[in-house]
Amino acid sequence: MKKSLALSAALLAATALSALPAAAENVITLGASVQMTGATANTGRYYKDAYALAVEKINAAGGVKVGGKTYKLKLDMLDNQSDVNLSVRQYVQLVSSDKVNFLLGPFASNFVISDSSVAEKYQIPMVEGGGSSGQIFSRGYKYVFGTLPPAGNYYGSTLEMMGKLKPTAKTVALVAADDSFDVSVAKGTRKLIKKAGMKIAVDESYAENSSDFSSILTKIKAAKVDSILWSGHETEALNFLRQMKQLNVSPADMYAFTVGVPTADFRNALGKDANYAFGMTTWLPDASLKDKWFGDAAEFAKEYKAKYGYDPDYHAASGAADVETYVYAIEKAGSLNPKKVRDAIASSNFDSLYAKVKYGSNGQINLPQIVVQIQDGQLKPVYTDHFINKPMYPAPAWDKR
Amino acid sequence: MVLAQILLNGVLLGGLYGLMALGMALVWGVLNIVNLSHGALIMLGGYVTYYLFTLAGIDPFVALPIAMVIMFCFGFALQWGVLNLIVRSKMLNTLLITFGLQVVLTFTAQLLFTADFRTINPTYAGNNFPVGGLTVSVVRLAAFLVAIALASILWFVLNRLPLGRAIRATAQNLTAARLYGVNPRVLYAVTFGIGTALAGAAGGLYGMISNLTPYIGASLTAKSFVIAIIGGLSNPFYVIFGGIFVGIAESLTALYIGPTYTDVISFGLLVVVLVVRPSRAVRAA
Repeated sequence: MKKSLALSAALLAATALSALPAAAENVITLGASVQMTGATANTGRYYKDAYALAVEKINAAGGVKVGGKTYKLKLDMLDNQSDVNLSVRQYVQLVSSDKVNFLLGPFASNFVISDSSVAEKYQIPMVEGGGSSGQIFSRGYKYVFGTLPPAGNYYGSTLEMMGKLKPTAKTVALVAADDSFDVSVAKGTRKLIKKAGMKIAVDESYAENSSDFSSILTKIKAAKVDSILWSGHETEALNFLRQMKQLNVSPADMYAFTVGVPTADFRNALGKDANYAFGMTTWLPDASLKDKWFGDAAEFAKEYKAKYGYDPDYHAASGAADVETYVYAIEKAGSLNPKKVRDAIASSNFDSLYAKVKYGSNGQINLPQIVVQIQDGQLKPVYTDHFINKPMYPAPAWDKR
Repeated sequence: MVLAQILLNGVLLGGLYGLMALGMALVWGVLNIVNLSHGALIMLGGYVTYYLFTLAGIDPFVALPIAMVIMFCFGFALQWGVLNLIVRSKMLNTLLITFGLQVVLTFTAQLLFTADFRTINPTYAGNNFPVGGLTVSVVRLAAFLVAIALASILWFVLNRLPLGRAIRATAQNLTAARLYGVNPRVLYAVTFGIGTALAGAAGGLYGMISNLTPYIGASLTAKSFVIAIIGGLSNPFYVIFGGIFVGIAESLTALYIGPTYTDVISFGLLVVVLVVRPSRAVRAA
């Protein structure tokens, strides 16, 4: 008796609840699958947090206006556990069963290459800030847009700077991981090195997730190179630099990394051994980058740090720009129709906390890389197309520091 | 000269590889558990050493024995509370439960320690000295020596002490061991505790040479597995030799074929060993 009473009460409550009208708010849902756990969670968090912060800020400012109606943005974010196959399934789920309006990207080129095919197949735009490999944008896809500049040109500004520094490096050791992003970097960098009139003395690729670089470093040491240009993932960059010191490998002039150097995590883990390392970033939290919602990039960085307890880097800024792209494009299209919004994205042209957002005909943004260096534990911008700060150059040998 | 340096790198790294596999081989040989959470235990040991170093300011090589004691207790509790329930069940069950354990440990580690990279970075971590034109990294040499020392201690315990005789007796004939008064529940827990302590030591050394994240476990399990098979499960020194063998093979591969192929070679070696000496590998397993 008691049981059936409880049951009927529950049933009643359920009917009452379902009879309530659905929330009257108009909602635009942005779907994304990002690395919240797993091997690349450390970088994935930038996207998770930047998407959330941008959505929150835009909603607080009133949301998105489409044809006289106001919409709020909503995020449908899943954890792909740093697993490419899972992320593809999750994007299929987002478009086919969750019925999200638009897609935001995951982190890393190899994820974007697979996931963007889902966007293209279902003809729902994906604006991504995590993949820059040429392989993403050379397939003629119409629905994929990227806010990271082409991987092949990552070392463009670094090599330009190296040409202007005295003594000028003559030989280069190029070390790159074997995943799609780093293969693109290496391919582009080889051409750039030749163009700069330097010689590639060592050219090695290594398996993704390697933790031991002693063989490569031994070869580099024997070749007595002037400089090392390195491309891979942050954890491998850390290992590489530590093992450089352990094996006393000091190139005559300098060494540079595609990733790692701009992040606070990198400097914290290495301490003073991080000094002299060159790196690159497309973005610095500079007040000259004006933004409709955050005011400027410096404000964005401040709010981000206050909310999440760590400093944003270019990944985060790129992710926030992806969300903003949608707001501009949807308002311009005056519609939620994926095709119309896609066309509006293609003709984007706005200032943001990240950069001036304008996509090329292949869907990818083009931005110069700012060369940065860690000097006495501080991250200093050094060069874009002119010197911003004086680089500490050449880097002294490990035993002379 | 490059070849000599690369061989040296391979030998020093191989010692650490051997230490990683030592605990796994011990547990496998005695308990017949292929411990898929072994790499996660190495990871945990690394974090214990890291926090002893950064929070308590203990030199990592001094922290190593402390970490080993902590990890021994953890391993003992794990075997006593969880793994003893399935110790004599089918191989598949032990694989499933240790795989589950590895998932739980990894994600608990991410919750507790975050996905940030950690390095155990004492002031001498990057030090090195030249020997006849070769560069010897202080930390790598120390890691190698620690590996040899621990293998020697394990050998001594297994072959000369009553505890070791009891462990080997249990592995050889459970019924007979019981007749002589061995309590297998305790003995299994002690054995797993020793295996976990060895993993802990390997983790601390790994954190000094490389870096720690919650996700290093899976690949370290795979590496330990290969070395345990190649080295065999019977003698600690064979496991260390197995590690050195793999270390040299990987280094030579990186030199002559290309660093992309190191995993192909180390797992290829596993296949070769299974084909050439299947009886030994199967009996051991």
